[in-house]
Amino acid sequence: MAELAVSLKELAELEQDRKKITKGQKVLSRIIAALPVIAGVLHLIEYLFVPNKGTNSCTPVYAYLVGLGVAVWGVLYIISFFKSELYAILKYKAALYTALFILLTLYDIATLKTGILIMPYFPWLDRIINSIISDKEKLLDSAVNSLKLLFTGYIGGVLVGLICGIGAGWSKKVRYWVNPFVRILGAIPTTTYMPIIMILATSLFGGSAFLIGLGVWFPVTVSSLTGVSNINTHYYEVAETLGTSKAGILFRVVVPAAMPTVFGGLTQGMSVACITLMAAEMMGVESGLGWYINWQKGWAEFGKMYGAIIIICFIFVMVNNLLNVVKRYVLRWQKGENA
Amino acid sequence: MDRGHIKIDGVTKIFRRTDGNETLTALSDINLDIKPGEFIAFVGASGCGKSTLLRTIAGLETPTIGTVLADGEEIKGSSAKRGLVFQDHALFPWLTVWDNVLFGLKSTGKKKEKEDLANELIKMVELEKFKDSYPYQLSGGMSQRVALVRALANEPDVLLLDEPLGALDAFTRMNIQDVLIDLWKERQNTMILITHDVDEAIYLAQRVIVMSPRPGRIVDEINIELSYPRNRSHSAFIKYRNAILEKLNFAHEESIPDFSI
Repeated sequence: MAELAVSLKELAELEQDRKKITKGQKVLSRIIAALPVIAGVLHLIEYLFVPNKGTNSCTPVYAYLVGLGVAVWGVLYIISFFKSELYAILKYKAALYTALFILLTLYDIATLKTGILIMPYFPWLDRIINSIISDKEKLLDSAVNSLKLLFTGYIGGVLVGLICGIGAGWSKKVRYWVNPFVRILGAIPTTTYMPIIMILATSLFGGSAFLIGLGVWFPVTVSSLTGVSNINTHYYEVAETLGTSKAGILFRVVVPAAMPTVFGGLTQGMSVACITLMAAEMMGVESGLGWYINWQKGWAEFGKMYGAIIIICFIFVMVNNLLNVVKRYVLRWQKGENA
Repeated sequence: MDRGHIKIDGVTKIFRRTDGNETLTALSDINLDIKPGEFIAFVGASGCGKSTLLRTIAGLETPTIGTVLADGEEIKGSSAKRGLVFQDHALFPWLTVWDNVLFGLKSTGKKKEKEDLANELIKMVELEKFKDSYPYQLSGGMSQRVALVRALANEPDVLLLDEPLGALDAFTRMNIQDVLIDLWKERQNTMILITHDVDEAIYLAQRVIVMSPRPGRIVDEINIELSYPRNRSHSAFIKYRNAILEKLNFAHEESIPDFSI
């Protein structure tokens, strides 16, 4: 059979010819992909050369960071001339990063340069960054403590939730005992129990981990219960006629088949865990980033407070990314998951 | 092959209806002897209980009255000796083609002994190239071929086929019908096929059982005395087809004219 062999690159060229993209459009695309560099450089010029208001002072640290961002984009932009995949990504993300630099410029003008947003409530970014650097040991320690508490509670909640949910989906007897707990405990936000736990728990860490676990337990239980209930009964029957034992069916059919639904619960559980973590740290636990924020607020150290908020934001984004990586690996057999 | 003998002895199956207190007789006094290595097909309109009968042989349903014997032993539950293939292929989507095929071998602890057989079967259905693919990457016909191999890799004495080709297009179906014959000749196991496609039954089976609904019972059985591979446009083939279709059309009447070829 005669086949027209076409490489991916050639196909892209063929398709592009059909779309009739003009020279002008191509040049425009190149300019759009370079916009973040332009916006970044403009921001640098604004930061370095526009005079500060009154006694406002700043250091070059912030300029280095912005410069680093601009440089990274610039290097990627040059590489993108040779790598069309990278170019596609840059084109797609360019608008977002340009907007980011514009926002940073506006914020800088509103704080450092003009003082429209007043101190000490709105410190400029350079101040925040310097606060982070000056208190880095304490912040790192707090971040580690927060992560310890988060994962102790989360992993505990996930394990118990999986056992309850899969057990309840699998056996009517287990469902009989799990269901009332799901109905009653699930309806109450876990932060409601916070004051009781703070009084009753012998260790605040243990009590808070328990609360986080409880918050995670509910969505994980419900999602795994749903996941197991929705399994195609033919899977069980085929497995049975292939000579699979009960335990084999549980671990080789039920658990993997329920996974797509379970991951919905794992994601939801993570967001509940983050909320509970912050509440617990702000209300009683004497460590972690939530506690650090409250503590610095008490001293009117708003730079450090914002610094901690930025770090929390970064950590939670990273934790959710990690969860997504795990999800994509576990569900690689699903259409679209590995695209 | 001397294994794979199925004896259905006075089987009646009555279900509780979910919508009330009524009962539904799905099967009424079924008696049948299926020889080891025989290819037998059941045809009938939907609701004639043919799937229930197949599930009873698989051990997934228990007869209300009567017994089903497999090689002289009463069937009391499912067993690796009786493999099952569904219309929806039911491949485990989280496993690759190869791991699907090995699933039963891992369950019965015979992975090492029978891996070569599994490989051979995969080659027979021309899917070696797709061993590492996931089911979502396969077409309907390919999936069904994997499901057949998965069931056969376990070397069942009996292979139960519940309308396995019903969801496929006409060309794929004819193609897999030939695959089925090849696999049967190779493995020489008992094949029990449920289908609503009369041509398929005549093309594949040595004996066709015609069933009628409400209550499900056997109306007639017809031996197909044609050599393999069969010719769908041969006059004898068409004669069998007409005979069976006639049986199916008259199946709702009380008096069934005696008919034999």
